[in-house]
Amino acid sequence: MQCLRAPLSDLSALEGQRACAEWQQPGQEQSDYHPYDADYCMQSLCPVETAFRALHGCNGGGENENHGNVHGSNDCFSNAWPDIVSSMHCPVVGAAASVEETSVNASSSSSSRKRKSENNRRSKENSGGSDGKDDSNCKRIKEETGVGAATPEAKRPNKRKEESADASKENDKAPKSDYIHVRARRGQATDSHSLAERVRRERISQRMKYLQDLVPGCSKITGKAGMLDEIINYVQSLQRQVEFLSMKLAAVNPMMDINIDSLFGGREINPTCKSASIPMIGMSSGAIDQSYLQFGSLQHDMFMGSSDLLLRPNVNPAAAVSDTSLGSCLNVNGSSVWNTNLQNVYGVEFQLGRGTALPFQSLQGNLLPNNLKMEM
Amino acid sequence: MQVTEAFKHAFLKQMLLGFQASAVSTKSMGFQERKNAIKLSADVAMAVARGSRKWTRGLIAGLSEERQNRSFLRLILGEQYESLLKPCHSSWKIPRCKKIVRRSLRVCWRKQKKNQSGVLARTLVEKRTQELKRLVPGGESMDGSSLLDETLDYVLSLRAQVDLMQSLLTTFEASKLRSHSKRRLPERKASYVSK
Repeated sequence: MQCLRAPLSDLSALEGQRACAEWQQPGQEQSDYHPYDADYCMQSLCPVETAFRALHGCNGGGENENHGNVHGSNDCFSNAWPDIVSSMHCPVVGAAASVEETSVNASSSSSSRKRKSENNRRSKENSGGSDGKDDSNCKRIKEETGVGAATPEAKRPNKRKEESADASKENDKAPKSDYIHVRARRGQATDSHSLAERVRRERISQRMKYLQDLVPGCSKITGKAGMLDEIINYVQSLQRQVEFLSMKLAAVNPMMDINIDSLFGGREINPTCKSASIPMIGMSSGAIDQSYLQFGSLQHDMFMGSSDLLLRPNVNPAAAVSDTSLGSCLNVNGSSVWNTNLQNVYGVEFQLGRGTALPFQSLQGNLLPNNLKMEM
Repeated sequence: MQVTEAFKHAFLKQMLLGFQASAVSTKSMGFQERKNAIKLSADVAMAVARGSRKWTRGLIAGLSEERQNRSFLRLILGEQYESLLKPCHSSWKIPRCKKIVRRSLRVCWRKQKKNQSGVLARTLVEKRTQELKRLVPGGESMDGSSLLDETLDYVLSLRAQVDLMQSLLTTFEASKLRSHSKRRLPERKASYVSK
């Protein structure tokens, strides 16, 4: 009978309840509901299986429309269960229709809560057994689904208690998978506070490791304070670089108006991009054509040796500057390649011996804004 | 976070759109104004290309605090603008119950009485964490580990921004140079001929 609960959850639960109510205590209120009673009812009413199936057939596909189903089911109900239904009154059904949703919701939530508490109790009882461990392990794995998961730390100490109680003497320190398994190590405190602390510390140290790889020159430093110092300096220098570059861009005047439609092939932003669709701003192509042609011809005329360079020479100036060329121009392989492009470009221009509009000739990959400020 | 091609693509596109929206090249602006407009569109492009993260929301919230930026932001972001601003404010601090804070401080203080060695290190780290919170946009409302997460993300995006702007700069300057050289050649020819 239990298997029937799943497909007919909304209706059968309520109907089972109603049946029970009418069967056992005619005076009982509809809203008083115990899932166990319903189960018991359902189990005891074995011959009713066929009736339930008929009900389900009656209701058809409209299980969402509770009201219609109630009435429809009531009819089927009456056909199948003449004894019980005779005692049921129509107004009861009408009232039940409105109560149905709330009671079903309440019942489902209460039942789920009860099931959860049961699980917790069961796991706590079987802490010594393998079942409990598997349960709690599973729960832990479900919770800790990765490095950045916002795990409910409050729950963990409770589970850790039962784990640590038996595992406090274990020598197993290495984690079994990539998840952060927290077991109280030998000779360490086992109270929930310190365990939660340890989890937090491990998380932070892992993030610090990532940052260490990211920030240049951080590999020698081991302390948290020192590394934070380096990170702060790096972030500040990057922000200053952005300021400085925006200043330089402002100095390049007039700027080229690049015809974006043709640049990006007129297609939308690809769906892998995280941002939502951005409103395309209308562009006047009048004044743009001239500068656009210049840009195109630039690509064509620019005599660069290597093909890696920023502006490819093989683009037909008459053809639209396709997004692939620009995309490859801005060379996707990583920032280091952009830097080498930069150096190549400067190299060529120095060879040209033009009166450079570039006052800063010592530009390397990482601009040092301090030096540049001095030159200014 | 990985700096993917899609991200760079979106970033560049957004930035160029932003340049056009604020019309940096056509309008006659002062130098400072133009620089601010460029920086604004670069920052917004970075935030939009990255998507929805704590620091991006903090960044946009911080930018929209100034009145002059708001019209631009509204233009670029469209209907996302309002939804972005609502849940998170950059200066929102984690609400803490005073009683609980006091209790935990007392516990910490008692522990510290026994263990004096870590105090100096802890204060240093605390100071630096505060500093980092100020640097990363939207940082004040983050706790230790998520702050590091956001810093990681932010650093990657900043790097991509710097690279992108550098390459844009070289492109523009090279093209400008090209146009200069084109103009000069006929002059020289003319002077040659006249001689």
